[in-house]
Amino acid sequence: MMAGQPRPRRGLRLLAVSAIAAAINAPIIFMLLNSFRSTEEIMASASLLPDVPTLVNFVFLFARTNYVQFFFNSFFIAIASTVVTVIAAALAGYAMSRWQGRLVGGYARMLLMVQMFPIILALIPLFIIFRVLGMINSPFSVIIIYGAVHLPFATWMFRSFFDSIPRELDEAALVDGSGRFGAFFRIVLPLSGPGTAAVAIFSFLASYNEFFIASVFLRDEAVMTVPVGVQMFMQQYATDWGGLMAAATATAVPTFALFMFVQKYVAYGGVEGGVKG
Amino acid sequence: MRPRLDLLPLAFLLPSILLIGLVILWPLITGFDYSLHAGTMLKQGRFLGAGNYTTLLGNEDFWHALRFSVIFAITNVAGCYLLGLGIALLMNADIPGRPFFRVAFLLPWIIPSIVSVVSWRWMIADAHAPVNLLLKLVGINPIYFLSSDIWAQVVVFAVKIWRSFPFMMLSLLAGLQGIDKTLYEATAIDGATRWQAFIYVTMPQLKNVSIVLCILMTIWTINDFETPFLITGGGPSYATENLILMAFRYVFQRNNVGIGSAVSFVTFLILTALAIALLRLQRDRG
Repeated sequence: MMAGQPRPRRGLRLLAVSAIAAAINAPIIFMLLNSFRSTEEIMASASLLPDVPTLVNFVFLFARTNYVQFFFNSFFIAIASTVVTVIAAALAGYAMSRWQGRLVGGYARMLLMVQMFPIILALIPLFIIFRVLGMINSPFSVIIIYGAVHLPFATWMFRSFFDSIPRELDEAALVDGSGRFGAFFRIVLPLSGPGTAAVAIFSFLASYNEFFIASVFLRDEAVMTVPVGVQMFMQQYATDWGGLMAAATATAVPTFALFMFVQKYVAYGGVEGGVKG
Repeated sequence: MRPRLDLLPLAFLLPSILLIGLVILWPLITGFDYSLHAGTMLKQGRFLGAGNYTTLLGNEDFWHALRFSVIFAITNVAGCYLLGLGIALLMNADIPGRPFFRVAFLLPWIIPSIVSVVSWRWMIADAHAPVNLLLKLVGINPIYFLSSDIWAQVVVFAVKIWRSFPFMMLSLLAGLQGIDKTLYEATAIDGATRWQAFIYVTMPQLKNVSIVLCILMTIWTINDFETPFLITGGGPSYATENLILMAFRYVFQRNNVGIGSAVSFVTFLILTALAIALLRLQRDRG
């Protein structure tokens, strides 16, 4: 709380925080270490640490399973749904930022309610209709649903970015003869580059990490996303701990890497627009 | 603002309205209709009125799932609050390398659910798994967590707390950083101890954000499918089945769309009541 406290006090706190951080992250640390050990060693060795690090689990994962295919499926679905979310959320976020009428305000509140909606209720009719339309095992079913489900937080994030851009800029564009859409696309959106990137990354992460919706619609190995594929491994190779740990570790890498780009944006917790639904 | 209805904002909202309409509103209405009928995936059955709902009242699975959802929410909110507040207080102090620890404490929250579950399944896999080795150190016999009702529930609660406390920690830390420092100076002049400052300054200042966070977390926990489904699949013998898992089982495994939709709709009503309470609270605070 106060600067310039005696050194031993700070050292003690550092020790305490390190110990707590290590304890809390123990499952992740073991996962990482075990992904570099063969399953035989994991089961036989009394030690919790690898004796001789090996890549055999990753070789198995990439060469002998459909993991790489899952990866491409995940990236395609995450990118496509991010495009859908960003376009719809940017336009709606601009409306919420510039008009405070009853209609826009009511819609903004409804979006918050959507974030608390039990998605299972929507999945039942959607599954039945998508089945009739032949869209089970099609990435497009999942892309549309993700595009909508991630709208609330994306729209609220856009709104707060647009709020920080002075209205005078829009008005100058309007005087110049650009319409509202011109003002938005030529002035406001280009000024929100970093904000748009942040929304896109959060939206990508939300899609990439998602399991429930993907598991309902994507049941064929050719179209599965990574989480659905890894869950299938969990059932098929229940005792192949080395392989499972490698799959989980590889799955977490893109999440972690992308999160590092946007972690400063979660600084204030986003009570209004939590990242996870 | 001019009084006439301005249609221009509507044009900006249009793509969003179409998506929400297609993926949320239309299914909400259709789902309610399903809950009033008997029926399977392939064919809607006859109209039952409130029949599915009265069936639920006599269905043991339903009462069990409802009770589990409530206990799940209570343990998760309490666990996340205690852990989140504790770490937030620690992180609010002067610590070397704070940005590093911030990311370290967020990790359980940011990794995909499947990754957290795979890592935790190893922690409790068998008699030689890390958690059992730890228990052995304090003289407790190995526990086969996923084969006992009560231990399976404990594991689901623990993993859920582990996955969601970082959000609580982050938001409470922001709350702590927003407290006016002069309040602490005033209590120090009055000769208050650190504990008194915590009880009479910190906690009252965190009250509003805490209430909002607890309601939000209650909603998210009742809504959780992935944690119980991936760890236990709802078992052993439905011991860890919440309302969402029950709805999922009735629709997608037992092909009973009517009952499954009714359970989903009851969940929707519970969550809507909580969401309205939350929005009221936020509006009252301005």
